[in-house]
Amino acid sequence: MIELLNYQFFQNAIIGGILIGIISAWIGLFLVLKKESMIVDGAAHTAFGGLALGLLIGIDPFLTALIVSIISIFLISHMRSKGHAYSDSAIALMLAVGFSIGLAIISVTRGFGVDIFSFLFGSILTISREEIILITLLATSIAAFLSNFHREILAIIFNEDEAKIMGIPVRRISICFNLMIAVAIILSIKMVGTVLVVALMVIPALAALRLKCSFIKTLISSITIAIIGVISGIIISAYYRIATSAMIVLILLLIYMIIVVRKRW
Amino acid sequence: MEKVLEVKELKVIRNGRIVIDGAEFEVLKGDYIGIIGPNGGGKTTLLLAILGRIPRISGSIKWFGKELKDFKDWHRIAFIPQDATNFDRNFPLSVKEFVVLGRLGRKAGRKINREDWEEVDLALEFMGLAEVANKRIGELSEGQKQRMFVARALVRKPEVLILDEPIAGMDASIQEKFYQKMSELNHKMNVTILMVSHDLSVVFCKMNKVICVNKEVYVAKVGKEAEEVLRKAYGEHFYFVFHRHECRGEFVD
Repeated sequence: MIELLNYQFFQNAIIGGILIGIISAWIGLFLVLKKESMIVDGAAHTAFGGLALGLLIGIDPFLTALIVSIISIFLISHMRSKGHAYSDSAIALMLAVGFSIGLAIISVTRGFGVDIFSFLFGSILTISREEIILITLLATSIAAFLSNFHREILAIIFNEDEAKIMGIPVRRISICFNLMIAVAIILSIKMVGTVLVVALMVIPALAALRLKCSFIKTLISSITIAIIGVISGIIISAYYRIATSAMIVLILLLIYMIIVVRKRW
Repeated sequence: MEKVLEVKELKVIRNGRIVIDGAEFEVLKGDYIGIIGPNGGGKTTLLLAILGRIPRISGSIKWFGKELKDFKDWHRIAFIPQDATNFDRNFPLSVKEFVVLGRLGRKAGRKINREDWEEVDLALEFMGLAEVANKRIGELSEGQKQRMFVARALVRKPEVLILDEPIAGMDASIQEKFYQKMSELNHKMNVTILMVSHDLSVVFCKMNKVICVNKEVYVAKVGKEAEEVLRKAYGEHFYFVFHRHECRGEFVD
């Protein structure tokens, strides 16, 4: 265990994992309160199409995934607000379209010779020093936005119409928040992959909400749970050679179940 | 006296039906106005229209002398919508955290400072909620929830407070206390109040004007004049009985 900490790849994984865990839990809490957690699943699966597209045209697949993810979130919001589709139908549509495009591109090109599993299930243990710098910059930007505007976001989630009457710039804040969701999803894909990203963002929030505390305490609990899940998941997976993403999600689930059981007693 | 709100020839259509037709009225500073009328008569539509939340077909709305489209000082007005208390009871906010949200709006991203928290404490004290300040909002009773919404409105230091059926779900003794607080706000702090209410006795006892909405909008000072207005609004199917000395009113079919 101590030996592992001496390895650069392991240090990178822990640092990157903590940063991604913090912003995922933070954004995830808002999404759960907004009853829109499945938007993460939709955008993440759509991002898979973006990853494949990036590989096809020969640019950083995470950049194309980010662009596709942003487009999908705004399209889902647009379809919902204009009444073209219910929220769940809009998410299902984007999810299916994005994932199918990704699958089609990958099957035609016979997988580009890259490990598709790393996109589907994450690859936190292969994170590089340069990627850590990028993750730190992006995570700090998201954290700065959320800490400055968390009350406005809460007011909008609580009642959007009231927030408008209160003079809160609902549209501008919602656009920025959607951008942050897309960035957080792409960062989380690096850690747990497109399939399990929704679990990383939602389970810490669900567990923290079971504690029935004030908002600040709920937020701190959610972030703490995410950090515990990420660190212990990475350690156990590295030690026992189990898939990291699965281990992180299983530990988060375990924490959730412990809280549920304790609260029942 | 300063004109707070001026409405002229207002016409609003919702779902293809004319809901408000040619409304004309003024609200002066310090007014305490009861908005009454039959269900589906357009009370909530009128409020949403004057707040610019739903479009109007024609007419003019001026807040503090400014046309609605040019009016930017929304911090001067606080609105508590109908069914405001029907929120998710698991929403993770303490009463204090909820009330401080009322300080937002003037400048997005502004840090909440000590002065803001002091205003929150004062508002909670005034509304009799100091003891439950750290409770979760979902744990409050209906009456406490409604007072919490008023406390959130008060921290904005509004000049106008608009409430859409605030007493629904409150028992009689809590209603009385609630109205006392509203009267205090109106008399001591000179807050102009517009309140949708079905309780005619309260409207006639505690308020100085009545706006009766039933597609058309009738305005009258409380008293004999209001009685005529109510007859017009409710039509001949209703016989209005108003006992001035008992300070109560009722409709008899």
